[in-house]
Amino acid sequence: MTRIAILDYGIGNLRSVEKALERVGAEAVITGEHEAARVADGLILPGVGAFAKAMERVAELELDRLIGERVEAGVPVLGICLGYQLLFDSSTELGGAAGLGLIAGEVSGLDAPGLKVPHIGWEPVEWARDSELIDGIADRTPFYFVHSLTPRPLDEADALGYALHGERFACAIARPPIYGVQFHPEKSSGAGLALLANFAGICAQVPV
Amino acid sequence: MILYPAIDIRDGRAVRLLQGDYDRETAFDADPLDAARRWVEQGARALHVVDLDGARAGAPVNIEHLARICEAVAVPVQAGGGLRQSEDVAAVLAAGASRAVVGTAALSDPALVESLAAENPDRIVVSADAREGKIAVEGWERATTLSSAELIADLAGRGVASFVYTPVEVDGTLEGPGLDGLRAAAEAAREGGAELIYSGGIGTLEHLGELASAGLPALSGVIVGRALYEGVFTVGEGQAALGAG
Repeated sequence: MTRIAILDYGIGNLRSVEKALERVGAEAVITGEHEAARVADGLILPGVGAFAKAMERVAELELDRLIGERVEAGVPVLGICLGYQLLFDSSTELGGAAGLGLIAGEVSGLDAPGLKVPHIGWEPVEWARDSELIDGIADRTPFYFVHSLTPRPLDEADALGYALHGERFACAIARPPIYGVQFHPEKSSGAGLALLANFAGICAQVPV
Repeated sequence: MILYPAIDIRDGRAVRLLQGDYDRETAFDADPLDAARRWVEQGARALHVVDLDGARAGAPVNIEHLARICEAVAVPVQAGGGLRQSEDVAAVLAAGASRAVVGTAALSDPALVESLAAENPDRIVVSADAREGKIAVEGWERATTLSSAELIADLAGRGVASFVYTPVEVDGTLEGPGLDGLRAAAEAAREGGAELIYSGGIGTLEHLGELASAGLPALSGVIVGRALYEGVFTVGEGQAALGAG
């Protein structure tokens, strides 16, 4: 069975991600331990809350080093919500902080004058291209979002999907083995589970 | 508009009450998780969970059931019933709920609701339940003199972004939505820049169509209970009747 480590750095409720992975037939392990994460076929970097605080915890547990090492080894990583934002170079939130720097670009507030921020709700996602991550998921399928900021990939080729909230923003990226989604696949019903199943499929292809 | 299947928990089971009367209960699922799973399998994009025991007790009673539901289903869950202090709201959100639905507290302590809304941006929903147009509180067993529209206007000004409006008379009857009171409530929500979720009396797909075509821009969702439990229509059919949004 494909084993996926959900990286636990003490932020957020990870049980719904774990349950969703189990639903799609993957073995999910919630862990902050390098040894346990190192034997997994894939990593999920979840997260809710503030960027700087999250990076602080990630650094304390040296998960930045671990993620870099696994990516180097070709192991797929999926960032979800704040975890997606952490993949980028930096964030402007609350005075700014450095991210993991795995994807070039900066994270900053949604430009949505007259609209509510945080942006909470279902939004159709427009795919920019094909990827194994979104196999079988129709263009403009709605996913569930909760966020105030969005990453801005420098290289447009990294962007996999776009959604609209005031501005058109990159809500998914794919630069194998690095993947990220701003929405919550674990709360996006059948389409979200399909995406997680695809991610598990990608992980299964990589010999650890 | 989003269709929210309702899961009302009493004594650990999923039940429906008629017009909010605790003596007129129909039990549908011995385990509310079965209901949650069924509605999500039918295409629900969100769930609305009410702790009926909690509403009556004035503090959450069925948090464990809520946590099981939030973990097991891949959609956001909003939850209420007996949330009257900050700790209760925190417990519901910690259990995995995406939003906490506050009722009675909103009336007796608007300042508390204001601070809850500030602490949890966009995660506080206020339930404006009305009996004959006036706000009903304490598990709907007590009526007040404040209208739903007045309550919504006041609390929208205090930073509450979402409301649920329920005319208690029609709840559980399947006889159709109470549109008159809804218009006033929806207008108050729109003026305050908030969204409104309607609940009560939905018995057919036509009732959902009426709401979808009522021309109320603040109306963002509809809660459906008994009609789903009795199999009048599926969640997917109901969602289609409300439109794709």
